[in-house]
Amino acid sequence: MDQQLPRSRWFTWFDQRLQLEDLLHFLRKKSVPRHRHSVWYYFGGVTLFLFLIQVATGILLLLYYKGSEDLAFESIRFIMSKVEFGWLIRSIHSWSANLMILAALIHMFSVFFTRAYRFPRELTWLTGMLLFFLALGFGFSGYLLPWNELAFFATKVGTEIIGAVPVVGKPILEFLRGGGNVTGATLSRFFGFHAAVLPGVFTVILSIHLIFVQRQGMSEPLGTEPRAENEGKTMPFFPNFLLRDLLLWLIVLNVLVILAVFFPWELGKKADPFASAPAGIRPEWYFLFMFQTLKLLPAKILVIDGEIVGIAAFGLAGILWTLIPFWDRKSSRGERNRLINYVGVFVVMYIIVFTILGYLM
Amino acid sequence: MRDSATTYAGSTASPPGRRDFLKYLLGGSLLGWLASLLYPLFAYLKPPKTGEVEVSSVKVGKIGDIPKDSGVVFRFGEQPAILVRTADGELRAFSATCTHLECTVQYRKDMGFIWCACHNGKYDLNGRNVSGPPPRPLEVYKVILQGDEVIVTKNG
Amino acid sequence: MTKISSGRKALSLLTILVLPVSVSAHLTADRPIDQCFVCHESMGDKPSALFKHDIHLKNGISCAGCHGGDSSKDDMELAMNPKAGFIGVPKGDRLSEVCAHCHADANAMKSYGSSLRTDEYQLLQGSVHGQYAVEGKQRIAQCTTCHGAHGIVSPRDPSSPVYPTKVTATCASCHSNAVYMQRYNPALPVDQLEKYRTSVHGDRNAHGDSKVAECASCHGSHDIRPAKDAKSSIYPVNIPQTCAKCHADAAYMRPYAIPTDQYEKYVKSVHGVALLEKHDTGAPACNSCHGNHGATPPGVQSISKVCGTCHTLNAELFGSSSHKKVFDERKIPECESCHGNHLVEHATQDLLGVTTGTTCARCHTPDDKSQGYTAAKRMRVLMDSLSNTDLSAVTILNQAEQKGMEVSEATFKLRDARQALIESRIVVHSFDFQKFKTVADKGLSIASNAREEGDRAIHEYYVRRIGLGIATLFMTLLAVSLFLTIRRIERKT
Repeated sequence: MDQQLPRSRWFTWFDQRLQLEDLLHFLRKKSVPRHRHSVWYYFGGVTLFLFLIQVATGILLLLYYKGSEDLAFESIRFIMSKVEFGWLIRSIHSWSANLMILAALIHMFSVFFTRAYRFPRELTWLTGMLLFFLALGFGFSGYLLPWNELAFFATKVGTEIIGAVPVVGKPILEFLRGGGNVTGATLSRFFGFHAAVLPGVFTVILSIHLIFVQRQGMSEPLGTEPRAENEGKTMPFFPNFLLRDLLLWLIVLNVLVILAVFFPWELGKKADPFASAPAGIRPEWYFLFMFQTLKLLPAKILVIDGEIVGIAAFGLAGILWTLIPFWDRKSSRGERNRLINYVGVFVVMYIIVFTILGYLM
Repeated sequence: MRDSATTYAGSTASPPGRRDFLKYLLGGSLLGWLASLLYPLFAYLKPPKTGEVEVSSVKVGKIGDIPKDSGVVFRFGEQPAILVRTADGELRAFSATCTHLECTVQYRKDMGFIWCACHNGKYDLNGRNVSGPPPRPLEVYKVILQGDEVIVTKNG
Repeated sequence: MTKISSGRKALSLLTILVLPVSVSAHLTADRPIDQCFVCHESMGDKPSALFKHDIHLKNGISCAGCHGGDSSKDDMELAMNPKAGFIGVPKGDRLSEVCAHCHADANAMKSYGSSLRTDEYQLLQGSVHGQYAVEGKQRIAQCTTCHGAHGIVSPRDPSSPVYPTKVTATCASCHSNAVYMQRYNPALPVDQLEKYRTSVHGDRNAHGDSKVAECASCHGSHDIRPAKDAKSSIYPVNIPQTCAKCHADAAYMRPYAIPTDQYEKYVKSVHGVALLEKHDTGAPACNSCHGNHGATPPGVQSISKVCGTCHTLNAELFGSSSHKKVFDERKIPECESCHGNHLVEHATQDLLGVTTGTTCARCHTPDDKSQGYTAAKRMRVLMDSLSNTDLSAVTILNQAEQKGMEVSEATFKLRDARQALIESRIVVHSFDFQKFKTVADKGLSIASNAREEGDRAIHEYYVRRIGLGIATLFMTLLAVSLFLTIRRIERKT
């Protein structure tokens, strides 16, 4: 039975216009299952929180960043040295970007291993995968914006790999680069993608993703039967889970600040398109496993370029991964599917091993 | 009697003192935390004293502001550079780091040459070392005129 | 049959008498009479008159030795017969080839008991004189150009045209001829001999001293190359060695009573290191300060002008300073008194000041009437202050950078401080404290500002950590209270 709480005048004013009672009723009913895998439920929220941090710090950086070839590097140096707390905002933005992708990966794998993608949540999984790819796009485009040496060459190599795809590769490369080479035009485009296009698209897809989650509630892993609410195996979203969420977010924020102070993000050297690439160019860690794989593939496999085989393989793997709700029938039926575990463990191990290799070599 | 699920602390389960203390602790630390969040934010939003980002001075200025037979030294990335407008009105730009011992050169109107104050090295208006200890000419930069904006680049 | 004059009879007698003297060890006991010589001498022609004194004749080589033919025949047709190898008067390059026939053949020279070199012809061909003459038909110089043709004697013989006291005239016969030299190198001067005569070398040489330097001593004899050729003995990098051949040889130089340690000193000096180790041909070699042909050590009053050909600013400042008059009056050598002449070392701050070991203290005392003592003292103090401030600014900025702080702008501005330090070391030569102060103060303020910025950056580094601590404190409190709130809420349900 719902308890009517004393309503403030403010609430009544809004309620009369927007019928908030229904919303309140729904929110009060929201519950989160409690079981030994509950802890993974937090990671979607952490990813969301880090995204919000990115939006906030990104907007602040926008006030001082200048996106042209001769000013980008200097404007970031300006932010780091002349703007009060500019160093803090910038380092938080850089660290949070990496942590967000890490959180997204953990979220994705936890959903994968708990089979939360199964019926009826296939669409949530699809939108989630789309969000993940968009996040990678954020990372790739944002990395270039300081226009320093490492970023310049990482972008050059990255777009070149995309350009190696047969037929569509070249047009896509030119579209991304704003020309044949990485120039100021590339910087302008990437800035546009990073600060306008991607945020817009991401927000839309994110809203859809969140609406789906709200609509369908939390999925429970197979083997943990759904219980009735008052059996103590769930907790109310408001205020319990929310407060826990907030506590975790608070801690994450503090971790970000500590990282920003003790491990400030470096600025490096300004990009010089005519200088030769320094040794040890590599992309950010979340692309490293793919990069390392391509590096280790032989030049030719049968008659095809090794690189193209690699790209095709990753492309295929990505598609299969995204479509998993549709070919993992067993989970949708509610049956155990050991294969999924094996696939998942293999993918996680592959990523970890090749990322480490990428750093060692 | 069982309390139905409540969302706010309204029952009398805990003694008033502890409850108040927790409320104060929560409120106080929330305020403190907000302050430590908002103070940097507002400080960031306040425009810094130096006004604008230090341009790497690729744009030197308007051509109307540079008189004939004069030179101006400006910062180009991490190094100084010099823009000379000859008596005929032509624009030339060079690295302003003397090739002898890296002092900063200047334009001398009375000599019609670029001169280094340290050891009297002289460069002509093509950057060639013509007198004194400098062993090599000055690196030549490109000058581009965009409308009336003078832009100096290394390689064009 | 030729007419036999009474003179010829006398000659024959003479020949028999001098024959034993002119027999060399390697010849067969009965040396054939050189009929060419006998005949030509009787004609009284110039070559034979010269050849009488020739070293080749004294070694038993007949006219046929160079001209070919059969010297045993007194019949002209038989003697000067091409079939017998007669080549007449060799012209152009053929001339030198004839000489080289023996002189470039080590075995041939050994058979005459000679230890002479046999590479001269090869060297000549590679030298500047081995180039082709203007007409293009022969090389500029043949062996005979310098050594003569018929009266050739050893270069150690005072009558040789290449003997030290006579070689100058030999070289000058072309090299002082403006019209001739113009055809080869119009830019080459033709007054070397004239200038040479003004030098100690030239003067002594004119008075018969064969030890002093003459043309060949520096330029070489057969392997003469232009000064721009890196293999030339007068290529700037090689000049110190060339001069040192004599001037560093104590035994050789004993009759002249001048020091012989110049080369030793020069090699250790800034100029020597620059030229000999770094191959910077902008650095002075011996001739840059002493001159080439008119080599003379610069006079007391003109030292600053000589040094000033490169060190212009210092010379200008010195020339208008209070020191110029005093130095010239007291015959104190300019520049050299403080910096040395051959052993010029790096001019460091230690030269300036009034403590022991500084150059100023050599003359200036605390109670001297000039303001030199005070000026020197103050300049040194100010210069030390500038270089120390610059150094501490660099250190602090480095520290700040290591800590991850952004200090590139301050580092950039510090360049000007370093420039001020360099400029101040030049302006010392005005010996005017006010001028010095203007330059040094500018650098000092830049350096202090930079140091302050570095200090600020490091301070900021610690402030950030303190700020973090405070924020974390609040956060921890908030987290704890949140946690307790959560627990309380959950305890109720």
